[in-house]
Amino acid sequence: MSGYRKFLPEDIPDSHRPFWDSLRERTARVQRCDDCGTFRYIPKDICPRCHGGTATWTPISGRGDVYTYTVVRRAPTPAYQQDAPYVLVHVTMAEGFRMIASLTGADPQDVHIGMPVQLAYQDVTPEWTLCTFRPAG
Amino acid sequence: MGRLAEVAVAGVYQTKQGDLSDRTQPTVWWEAVRGACADAGVGVGDIDGLIGEGPAGAGLRDRMPAAGLAEQLGRPIRFHARSSVGAGSTAAGLNLAAYAISQGLAEVVVIANAVAGHGSGYASASRDEAVAAMAKLSGPYEYVYGPTRVSDYATIAMRHMYDYGTTPEQLAEIAVAQRLGATLHPLSVHGHRGELTVDDVLSSRLVADPLHLLDCCSINQGGAAIVVTSASSAAGIGRHAPVVLLGYGEGHSHIDPNALPKLTEFAAAKSAADTAFGMAGVGRDEIDVAGIGDHFTIGVLIGLEDAGFCARGEGGAFAEKGGTAIGGRLPTNTSGGFLSFSHAGLCGIFSLIEVVQQLRHEAGERQVAGARLGFVSAVGGAQQAYGAAILGRA
Repeated sequence: MSGYRKFLPEDIPDSHRPFWDSLRERTARVQRCDDCGTFRYIPKDICPRCHGGTATWTPISGRGDVYTYTVVRRAPTPAYQQDAPYVLVHVTMAEGFRMIASLTGADPQDVHIGMPVQLAYQDVTPEWTLCTFRPAG
Repeated sequence: MGRLAEVAVAGVYQTKQGDLSDRTQPTVWWEAVRGACADAGVGVGDIDGLIGEGPAGAGLRDRMPAAGLAEQLGRPIRFHARSSVGAGSTAAGLNLAAYAISQGLAEVVVIANAVAGHGSGYASASRDEAVAAMAKLSGPYEYVYGPTRVSDYATIAMRHMYDYGTTPEQLAEIAVAQRLGATLHPLSVHGHRGELTVDDVLSSRLVADPLHLLDCCSINQGGAAIVVTSASSAAGIGRHAPVVLLGYGEGHSHIDPNALPKLTEFAAAKSAADTAFGMAGVGRDEIDVAGIGDHFTIGVLIGLEDAGFCARGEGGAFAEKGGTAIGGRLPTNTSGGFLSFSHAGLCGIFSLIEVVQQLRHEAGERQVAGARLGFVSAVGGAQQAYGAAILGRA
């Protein structure tokens, strides 16, 4: 997989590692506030809802629906352009937070807001696994 | 009159826009600053305040731009600050200049933007390199999936269309209105291409659905500067009708677009505008001309809604009726904006300068008749930070 030419995560702080490790383990876990139970996606030091200072890495269902999307036709680099047109989605997860990833396994013209999707995993290098969404069956 | 009325944008200057790869950042910076000083009726030796970056140097000269500038001027700079509203940092800088002048910390403050040479990253003269560098601004939780600045705004547009029935035709009207302004501005990058029709926009290629190529700003180089002084000294020199700062507000809301409850409204933009209008003591319906961050057509539409110039969801109808055109309800980005005038570096300076020229009644064929009050919204990042300034012809 050393030929992977797309962007890989850089400068990930140690405090964010559990999320990326969970993708490699294929059981996505995100922070859940210990005080108010709110899930949050990109790791944070405090809870944006109640300002509580502790959280627990909690497995998520991976289910959600498309909040918005786009079809990228002009990609940022040649490596991505090989896949164009490709779909990027913002997904409202069952746990109430949103996340962004690619959507694969659907024709771009069939993608629509509200479409149910399921989180899947893409091992892109031995170190890194990324998310992708697929249409929920 | 609001409490900021004691400072004025006394001088403005814009260099050639477009391809400046045969020049260097310092030569363009100095051309802009000398030009803005001359326009203000002061000399470069009068400069005692700097906001943002100076002429590029090396090492500490870039880290400490005011010290570097002072060394070149052979006299101390008495005030320096930076704002963090990204491309909108000039309007934010105007507020900092107002603070410095009103407190007696400086008398002649310059803010300049210069992009030239070969650069690197998103200042690169290479369009491909700039697009790739800008994609990575979003952070690793997004950039691994291959977004671009266009796709960031495309997801906003897609949801706005879903929630409010906004159409690609309505977005195209914004590009059409702005291109007409650009054809009337001799420095514009795209004015020479002539006017656009809605069909031209819709038949340009899709970059990220629903945004077409002509919904997107250009990527180019250029320079500009403004000189800020006390309103009384600007009036005393009397080269132009003084344009004073009446109100300013700022808002910073998020980095990750997922952190917002909705992608179709930006509370920090609304609060920035509310603060500015409250300080100025004027109403939305009194504004004659606007400069609203237009990296993409959808940015103007949402900017109009966030600032309260139309109700939420009605930006599309506003644009469709020619509301943003010269002669419309709120002529917006009359120089052509980032879409058709110039999108170089901290490009908010171009939005601000056009509003100043309108309020001076020096906009030539683009002139909005009798313009006395202007609004400038400064957008940083992908709608992540805002400044809102209200300017008035004194």
